[in-house]
Amino acid sequence: MTLLARRGAALAAALMSTALVLTACGGGTAQEPAAPAAATRTVQAGNGAVVVPAAPQRVATIGNTTLPFIDLGGKPIAVTAESDSDVARLPAEQQATYSSATILASSADEVDMEQLAGLKPDLILVQVPESEFESLKAQLTAIAPTVYYSLDAEWKELADGVADAGNVTGALSEQKAEFEQLRTALQQKYRTIIDGTTFVDVTRYSSSDPGTFAIADIGCSEIARDEVGLNLPQAAEGADPLAWTALPFEQIGELSKYDVITYPVDAVGKPTEPFVPVVETNTWKALPEVTSGNAVGVFCPGNNSYGSVIRYLESLDGALATLPARG
Amino acid sequence: MTALSVRRGGPGSEVPGPRRRLPGVRLLGLVVALVALAVLLVLSVMVGSTAIAPSVVWDALVRSGSGIDWFAVRDYRLPRTVVGLVVGVALGLSGALIQALTRNPLADPGLLGVHAGASFAVTVAVGLFGVREVHGYLWFAFAGALVVTLMVLALGSTRQGSSPVFMVLAGLCVGAVLGGARDALQLTDPAAFDMLRTWSAGSTAGRPLEVVWPVLPFFAVALVLAVAVSGSLNAMALGDETAVAQGVRLLRTRVLAILALTLLAGGATAIAGPIAFVGLMVPHVARWIVGPHQRWIFVYSAVLGPALLLASDILGRVVIRPGEIPVGVVTAFVGAPVLILLARRRKASGL
Repeated sequence: MTLLARRGAALAAALMSTALVLTACGGGTAQEPAAPAAATRTVQAGNGAVVVPAAPQRVATIGNTTLPFIDLGGKPIAVTAESDSDVARLPAEQQATYSSATILASSADEVDMEQLAGLKPDLILVQVPESEFESLKAQLTAIAPTVYYSLDAEWKELADGVADAGNVTGALSEQKAEFEQLRTALQQKYRTIIDGTTFVDVTRYSSSDPGTFAIADIGCSEIARDEVGLNLPQAAEGADPLAWTALPFEQIGELSKYDVITYPVDAVGKPTEPFVPVVETNTWKALPEVTSGNAVGVFCPGNNSYGSVIRYLESLDGALATLPARG
Repeated sequence: MTALSVRRGGPGSEVPGPRRRLPGVRLLGLVVALVALAVLLVLSVMVGSTAIAPSVVWDALVRSGSGIDWFAVRDYRLPRTVVGLVVGVALGLSGALIQALTRNPLADPGLLGVHAGASFAVTVAVGLFGVREVHGYLWFAFAGALVVTLMVLALGSTRQGSSPVFMVLAGLCVGAVLGGARDALQLTDPAAFDMLRTWSAGSTAGRPLEVVWPVLPFFAVALVLAVAVSGSLNAMALGDETAVAQGVRLLRTRVLAILALTLLAGGATAIAGPIAFVGLMVPHVARWIVGPHQRWIFVYSAVLGPALLLASDILGRVVIRPGEIPVGVVTAFVGAPVLILLARRRKASGL
């Protein structure tokens, strides 16, 4: 070891010793408790490890994180707008929570960053397309710790992430237990139907072309297929979802090859407004499933949080219970 | 001289444009066009998103009864075919009128603000009044087209009586203003944007016959007006001065022609959305076949318009089956190559 290196090592040792002594003194005195802001945790997210407040008090939600956070009992101070129809499907207390938050913009890319900064959030939860997040990332992280989830994160993963970052894991545990109980009960109760019945879930959007509908293989349909085990059609691996293809009403007749049709209804069991034109067609009324009572409405309040999925499963339970006995 | 295009024909020419056609050739061509239209009408009922046997289609048309395939024919294919026929006639005829009126072979019924007016009105209906169904915004579209075209007519008639140049300029200006207002409204209301995204493509699908019947009387009036002004428009093709010398009342002819084409294009847009290219291409083809004789051009346009629309619609039903492509998207793909081919072969499209 050279003289210079020896001196450097000695200096480093001295500094470390001093730091150790100072740290020991500080720990021993404990005169001043740590400030609340200093209490932090590190969470893993789509944008890596993020240091967040241990108990965030002022959470802003952007994109798809709003409804899952509210569903877990969170009370965001600021949100990006949800569609009127989505808000209308929320339970009353969640609608009140949503209404009390500041609506930042209709979408993430239109958020006024000065307004957001002025609201002084201590945590921002974001789920938007990755390219969109990249353009907002610097501004958001300058305002508050920002936790990002990519659109690839499936709903359970998103719920886990939002609950962890937003410090609402207690509610999540309860919801998970209720979900598992309900799912198991459904599988046991309808085992015969699940094993021996072909289903098709159809839908129609408010933006659909006149005279068109779609076969739903995403959203709540995905829950019924993947979580409950219903035999529902889905797109081939790597292909676009079936729900993205607008089918002309003439194709309604092709639904007769399935045993049971599920279609979207509102909370009181009436066909959703966009779907009304389908049930009014003569073709629909003539379908064997419809005439035999094997077309059932299911309420889908959402598919990206445990609370809404639980409500969907309850509706599915009621719908399956009305099916005629199957041989 | 207010013509927008340079007319052919030297001094002493009886009519501008290429050689004149014999009436027998025109009649024969018309019979062929009518047969082609009849074939397309039959195909439109026979071909669809699902496979239905021709015998079932025939039974559904001529016998009473019920069944999924019968409903498919009666409730979807038949109305769609009627809509294609009616809208095609209106678009073809309105295209012939606007090109004769402006003496511009590039003129399109949308030039006087018909599409801009209808689109703006539908945006308002959807964005501000929450209208969601075809029945609801039919009258908004029609009223928008009529009001805007009348506005353009007023603006274009303020100097020296009326002038095709001023009317086209007024149409472009009003269309630009309304286009901006429409875009602004759509940006502030995503629901309106979604709705207009599909409506703007132009489609004959999902339009029940109930949306066609109320518009038919307007089309009938327009048809009478078109026939009434066809002779005057023939004379005006030779120039305003010549037409006046032959006793043509320019202002009255232009007003009636604009009224007719607005009723036709406005009604067609109200039913099916803005379908471009039919009104531009069909009169070209008609003029190539019959020469510069307005009555014949009108008749041919009224036959070839629905033929192009139905052919495009049938194609749109089968290329991405079970999905469909809106007819407004397909017309350009079908019509453009034909128009380019004709333009390269003949010089008959000039006015």
